Formats: sequence, C-alpha cells, structure tokens
Amino acid sequence: MEDRVVEDVKASFPDDVLEIDVQRRGRVSISVKRDRIYDVGLFLRDKLGFDHIASVSGVDYIDKKEFEVVYHAWSIDKKILAALRTRIPRDNPVLKSLVDVWEGALYHERETWEMFGIKFEGHPNLSLLLLPEDWEGIPPLRKDFILPKRPQE
Amino acid sequence: MKLSMGPQHPVTSHFRFILDVDGDAVLNFEWDVGYTHRGIEKMAENRIYIQNIPVVERINSYCDAIGTTLGYVEVVEELTGIEIPERAKYLRVIAAELNRIASHLYAVSLVGISAGFETMLMWTINDRELILDLLVKLSGQRITYTYPTIGGVRWDMPDGFKEDALKRLDYLEKRLEDYYKMMAWNRTFQMRFKNVGILKPSDAVKLGIVGPNLRASGVKADVRKDEPYEVYDRFDFEVPTGKNGDSFDRASMRLKEIEQSIVILRQALKDIPKGPIKGSPKGSKIPPTAPRGEAYSRVESARGEFGYYLVSDGKSKPYRLKISTPSFRNLPALPHLCRNVPLGDIPVIFITFDYIPLDVDR
Repeated sequence: MEDRVVEDVKASFPDDVLEIDVQRRGRVSISVKRDRIYDVGLFLRDKLGFDHIASVSGVDYIDKKEFEVVYHAWSIDKKILAALRTRIPRDNPVLKSLVDVWEGALYHERETWEMFGIKFEGHPNLSLLLLPEDWEGIPPLRKDFILPKRPQE
Repeated sequence: MKLSMGPQHPVTSHFRFILDVDGDAVLNFEWDVGYTHRGIEKMAENRIYIQNIPVVERINSYCDAIGTTLGYVEVVEELTGIEIPERAKYLRVIAAELNRIASHLYAVSLVGISAGFETMLMWTINDRELILDLLVKLSGQRITYTYPTIGGVRWDMPDGFKEDALKRLDYLEKRLEDYYKMMAWNRTFQMRFKNVGILKPSDAVKLGIVGPNLRASGVKADVRKDEPYEVYDRFDFEVPTGKNGDSFDRASMRLKEIEQSIVILRQALKDIPKGPIKGSPKGSKIPPTAPRGEAYSRVESARGEFGYYLVSDGKSKPYRLKISTPSFRNLPALPHLCRNVPLGDIPVIFITFDYIPLDVDR
C-alpha cells in the first residue's frame, strides 16, 4: 500500500519530488520543491485520499540557514500517514498556505507562523494565537531564541 | 455587538470566545486561546529525554496524563529501537483505559453541570474517585502518574489489584445504566442536546476533528484499531459511532466508550502475562542519546489522537518535539458550528467537545 502511494506521487510529479521513501509501515515521507507543495498537497488529498490533517510542524535548521515545514496528513481509508515536507530559506521564510487543501490546517499554520515567523501566503488570519498580544522579539521556537537560564544554587 | 465570553466563566474555563451577537443570535465565533501557554515544546528541547516525561505530562495533567505520556515514550522508543516487555505493554493498556474512564466521567460531569443537571456532576465525580483509587494503587499518584517510562512502566501491580479492579468495574457497569437513565434516556436532556450543533461527517474530516467527536459524526476512526499500538490488536472490542453528529451524540459517545474500556480492561486483566516490567534483560535501561532521525507516534487518548513528532540530531536532547494535541485539532469545529445559533446553545455545543485549555495551549 505504501509503495503504491510512492509510485503514484513519483509518476505524477517526476521533477518536483526531491526525496520520497517509506519510513516504516504506515509512514511515507515526501520531500518536494518549495513552489510545488500546494499541488502535491492537492494531489494527495484528492487522488490518494489523505484527507485528515494531523499536524503542521516547523523545524529550524539554523546551521543550514533553512526552515523545514512538515505537513502530516492521515488517510482514513488507507491508514497511512504522509509527511509532506519542504525546505525554505531562513532569511525569506514564505510559503504558500495549504488551508485551501486542508481546512483543518488553519490553526496549525497560525501557530507555526507565531512560533517560527514563517509567513503562509493566502492564510486568512495570521495573528498571534498562543503568545500574549504584546509579544515582541524573535519567534520563540527558533533556535536563536535562548531560554533564560534557571537559577543555580 | 462584540461580546466577550471568558476567560473567567464557569463554562469556558481558561478560554475566551469573541462572539458577534445580534440580539440573541450568535453570528460569528472567534477563539482567543493561549491563557495557559507554557511553551512545553521549547522546554522539551532543553531537557534530556527522560526528563521530558513529566514535562509533557503537564499538557493534559488533570484528565488524561497516561495518554499524554504514552505517546511521548512511544516516539522515543521508536527512534531508539527499545523493546519493551510484554507485561509492561499490558500494564500500559490497563493504565490508559482506566485513565480514559476517569477522563470520560469528568467530561460527562461537565456536560451535566453546563446544562444544570447537577446530579450528573455529583454522581460521575464520585464514581471517578473509584477509578482514581485504582490508579493510585498502580502508580502512587492521583492525577499526575508519570507511569509509562522509556522502556516500560515504573511500577508493577500490587497484590490484590486484579480482584479489586474487577469488582470496581462490575460496579461501574451497573452505574452506567443509571447514567443512561439520567442522561441519554432522559427526555429533558434530549430536548436540550438533540439537534444542537450538528457536525456532518464530511465537515468533521475536512476540519481535522479527532477522537470521540469525530466518531460521534459517524466516522469510524480510532488509533487503537487503525494502527494498534502496545497490545490493542489482541483485544476484542468495538468502536462506537454516532448517527447524527449532534451534541447529544457527542455526550453519549463518552458513556459508550466507557463500556468498551471496561470490555478491554477485563480482557487485559485476565490475559496479563508474568515477567519484568521494564528494561532489557541485560539491565541497560535507557540509552543517553537517540540516533539521528525522526519519528511520529499516534496514540488514542481520551480526547482523541495525540501526535508526537520527534526530530533528533543524535544528541541527548530532542532537536524538535512537535506535539499535536486533540483539543487543538478540534478547535476549528466551534467557529464552523457557531454561526446563527442562539447564545444559549454555545455552552451546550462547547462542552460536548470536551476541550481542555491546557491541551490547546501546551
């Protein structure tokens, strides 16, 4: 089943998929080019049945000056979790929003925006969700945000 | 008119709703969350793997601590490749199901109090103590158990636990009928909760709703069946689903799930094998580092699916730990449902989704 998904994605997007593999039973990882993530997401939802969004995560690779954005989508029929991922440069963190693909990604993307400063183009409401409304400074989940030291005895 | 409901309100707890109202009709619903944000994902990056167990437990401490910690220890075990003993798997299932019952009883009590059924609160909270007593015997704690650990569980069952548990489950099963009489079969309750806040199955999937709320809409999705973890594939149980997806279905779904939890617990208590409860036979327990890589674990907690996404760079602390919590994933439901509804229906719709502010904010 997982191999079928890999083959279908490869056949439809031969030039846009950078890396694709089956991590284990029920886990498929798909790494795509930044400007094609919307189309691959739409294909996953409509053609392969990955209809249930599970999470949107940002990962800060500060050494490579990159962010990775990972969309985890679950297929209720196939019982497979697909990780759709792309890398974006740290100095220009902009990505097309996938809210049109998975409506449930609304709050996930909003959280990723406030925690990493990744701007999702086309998102209807990019405002602070969890942080206090007078928050200033670098987004807290970036690696260059250092937590204050705990008091030492 | 803009109306602010919460964050000091008997129903909303630490949430605030921003409502657009026209007379008695609510036109638009907006969340204001984050009052209990503690930055647990950031904290996790600054602590070693074993220290993070009690940290992530605080995501959802007062309701479903076992379900929360179980997802975390599973993701670490998957990445490090630690095998856990059979007995520990059974003990994890027993603890998780007991905690599910306690959590659902708590949810039912809140449903009762929000609609003025105070007896329901008294009965369910009282019976919840019976289950919490069992968890005290198992772990020594009433609310924050820190029971699953990397490579197994912390404590074994004490003597006489099995008989005690079975006795209490028998009692609870009888009590369930009282709950049905008071709630699901009660005319007044039906009038208040039926046909209020109907969530269609297609919308529920589209919005990414999880857990009992998704199943109440008629979608059969349960991690325990779809992707069995621990030993859930060895038990014979059903996944109850609702018909209409209204508030009544969501509320009574909790009672149906308690029934199934009792079914699982009886089988688990009967089949549990003898043996060690943690660590490999050679004695090495927890490796100090996890290898480079990533893993995603899914666990069905009381409120629905918990997802842990762990990225490791080969050091002793997680590089990134993303926690996808069920209440956070259920957030889009309310703005979707609360359009052109009477103001008086807001507490009814809200409470049947069983949101926990700690769970949303992390």
